[in-house]
Amino acid sequence: MTTPAAKTTPIPEMSGAAAPRTPPQLSDVSVMIGGQGGDGTLTVSDLLGRYFRKRGLYVYLSRNVLSRIRGGHADASVRGSRAAVAAVKTEVDVLVAFDKEAIEIGKGELAAHGYILYDSTTFQVDLPNATGFPFATLVGGPLGQPIFKNTAAYGALSVIFGFDPTETRAVIEERFKRRGGEALEKNLKALEIGRKAALETPGLADRFSIADGDAHDFIMTTGNQAAAMGFVVGGGRFFAGYPITPATEIMEYLQRYLPAFHGVVRQAEDELAAVNMIIGASYAGARVMTSTSGPGLSLMTEGIGHAGAAEIPIVIADCQRVGPSTGQPTRHEQSDLSHLANLGHGEFPRFILAPGTPEECFLLTAEALNLAERWRLPVILLLDEALCQNATTSRRFELDKVHIDRGERLTGEAAAALTQYKAYAFSESGRSAYAPPGTPGIWAEITGNEHDEWGHVNVNPTNRVRMMKKRMEKMVKARDELPSANHFGSTDAKIGIIAFGSTIGPVREAHGLLTAKGTAVQILQPRTLFPVPVHEIDPFLKSVDVCYVIEHNYTGQFARLLRETMPWHHTKLRSLTKYDGTNFRAPQVVAGIQGGP
Amino acid sequence: MVESAKPVPPIWCPGCGDFGVLAALKKAALEMKVATHDLVLVGGIGCSGSIHNFLEINGIHALHGRLLAQAIGVKLANPALTVIAAGGDGDGYAIGMGHFMHAFKKNASIVYIAMNNETYGLTKGQASPTSQIGFEGNIERPFDAILTALSIPAPNLIARTFSGDPKTMISVLVEALKFQKEGRGFAFIEDLSPCVTYNDTYKLWREKVLDVSKVEGYDPTDRKAMFRICLETMEAGRIPIGIMHRPKESMREGLESKLLGDAAGPARSDISLEPNMGAYQKLLAGIA
Repeated sequence: MTTPAAKTTPIPEMSGAAAPRTPPQLSDVSVMIGGQGGDGTLTVSDLLGRYFRKRGLYVYLSRNVLSRIRGGHADASVRGSRAAVAAVKTEVDVLVAFDKEAIEIGKGELAAHGYILYDSTTFQVDLPNATGFPFATLVGGPLGQPIFKNTAAYGALSVIFGFDPTETRAVIEERFKRRGGEALEKNLKALEIGRKAALETPGLADRFSIADGDAHDFIMTTGNQAAAMGFVVGGGRFFAGYPITPATEIMEYLQRYLPAFHGVVRQAEDELAAVNMIIGASYAGARVMTSTSGPGLSLMTEGIGHAGAAEIPIVIADCQRVGPSTGQPTRHEQSDLSHLANLGHGEFPRFILAPGTPEECFLLTAEALNLAERWRLPVILLLDEALCQNATTSRRFELDKVHIDRGERLTGEAAAALTQYKAYAFSESGRSAYAPPGTPGIWAEITGNEHDEWGHVNVNPTNRVRMMKKRMEKMVKARDELPSANHFGSTDAKIGIIAFGSTIGPVREAHGLLTAKGTAVQILQPRTLFPVPVHEIDPFLKSVDVCYVIEHNYTGQFARLLRETMPWHHTKLRSLTKYDGTNFRAPQVVAGIQGGP
Repeated sequence: MVESAKPVPPIWCPGCGDFGVLAALKKAALEMKVATHDLVLVGGIGCSGSIHNFLEINGIHALHGRLLAQAIGVKLANPALTVIAAGGDGDGYAIGMGHFMHAFKKNASIVYIAMNNETYGLTKGQASPTSQIGFEGNIERPFDAILTALSIPAPNLIARTFSGDPKTMISVLVEALKFQKEGRGFAFIEDLSPCVTYNDTYKLWREKVLDVSKVEGYDPTDRKAMFRICLETMEAGRIPIGIMHRPKESMREGLESKLLGDAAGPARSDISLEPNMGAYQKLLAGIA
């Protein structure tokens, strides 16, 4: 017997002492795992997420990490729910602590029935609902490295939640099969060590049971991965970027995906180079994108304006984080919108698209490439940290929802049939045909200087006005092509909510909570934020008495934009904002709305 | 014949050194028989950067300092294009310095002509990174692009020419165009191009330039020797000109070749859905 007994606080029975009790069944479970960076907290959440998915639950993984490679406290949470959730659950059912800080952070979030499991190798906890196992010591002996403590903790959790042992093991096999050999073998051993320790501790087994869900035909992904895939499928073949949290994964995924398509991914020397490299590649005829976050976006601003003036199609994914300056690189915010809507010196057209789920990241990235090329302008994909990095169950991406539209792009044949080729020709549609360099028999001047139809520098006032209108009116003429808003709830509801990006996750969950309380709301999720889709938002605001604009920033940036474009709705608009670096949870949305005007 | 953008008359002052580059470019392109539609000139900001307007060519006017990033983007997207970047010393060595250094390291097969007049001409004669001490109150030491280029161990072609010596300039340009055509990498030419209005150095430079190929021990494949020759020439109060570095092996070292091999490149890929469907399905199956 190797019963671990470093610290076992007696576990209070939840029901009668003698009779075999039925463990409380959770249909919405949340586990938080905290420890020092490098403790493998993300591995535990990943393993649990995989298990929950096997049970048909919707899964949402979130993380709270510091901007450092190792050390420092980091925590992750995993939620499994029968309902289609895309937000962090407010109450934690089980907290796994590899350091004391995890207890400090997590105990306040613990549900009344909540339970703490901690690694008693280096610290002790004196709480009635806590059990300690010296996981690091337990695995350190037989496996030679304490690092496997995370898998041991997963083993103990599987006992607490009454997981099926075969499926529990299958998760480890899936997770480590690619690394195979020793890694797989040691993790399987660590799993058994954790399970054994928990099974041998009286009263720990089957504290809870997990309900089965029906979310089986789903994938698990992040907005960053989805955007990378949308780029490839949308015909994106040239990407340049500079590492920056939380955007880097887009570049990393594309480094994996694009070579198979003879695409090019370059890590540039800075964001100035990144945006200008994609401008050059787009000019040459490739579909292009860069991804960045606030600080990089500031550096790219001049380039984006240049693309607007020179009519060069580019797509910029802005993975928003806490700003300004270096801000909080790993934390969530939606505070770049005002900057983007007013981006750059002078005036030029741009579209800002805001997907709210990974599936929308996939589709809207592909669509952004179409829009950029058709209208020859910069398109910004406005993402946010939670959307970019929190993995969630998503519907499978469907290729038949993607189409390719290159606008009036001239092929060699079409070009040869022309009498004249003017890269900036005026036209009824507001779009000019484009032939990339290398198209036989024709060539052009492309410039960000004000120019005539040929691309020659021109300071004539009449020409200036015509060219300004040509460019600026794209934002009017393209209106019906821009991604439409999603609407949720009854159109009779008199309370409205407007939210964009990942905020739609907690907002939709709050919708359910509000409905259960008898409060009717309707929700509009605009997926084009700029130009402001007045044709969608104005009727929505007309149909409600009051509308909460829910966003992650201090000043209520989207609400301000709405007031600016639709001042007649001024009195109906309320801002519900959050800027503490974490994303909304559903009850916070409910409280914000029931707190009332 | 389709009517395309026609060249416009140069905006330069009569006698500007940039005319020398314009004339040499026309001759070299003619000699290389590059089709107009395959020739791209990425211009910087400044007098010299407007050169693309004066040629029958695919011209693109980059942002100040960013011409190399854009030119490299063009080349990587379509390696079949002949890509020339042309700008001034302020553009390349001040605001664009980061990209300048990295261009050697990246080694994409493009030709970069930096027209150095040791001043900001278009903004009326301020000191530039290459200005001599005393010019317009300059108290900072001038930057030397050739020594900097030589310090980066990459298989680039490095040269300095003088607008007062068009014959050499044409031959160097032809070599640079061949270099990029063979996919060997980055060809950098600094052309000494006097600003007749704000820094007329014709007479001074004519006296000071020294053809390094005439110096004993000249060997452009020997980086160390060339560094020494350049330094000694400068210490003697002269300006070294000529081919400063040429890689020994004629290898296809260009970044575009390393990334794409013989593939057509991102700009010429068929991105329609049908031919890619199988590969896309496989890609999407990668997420479980």
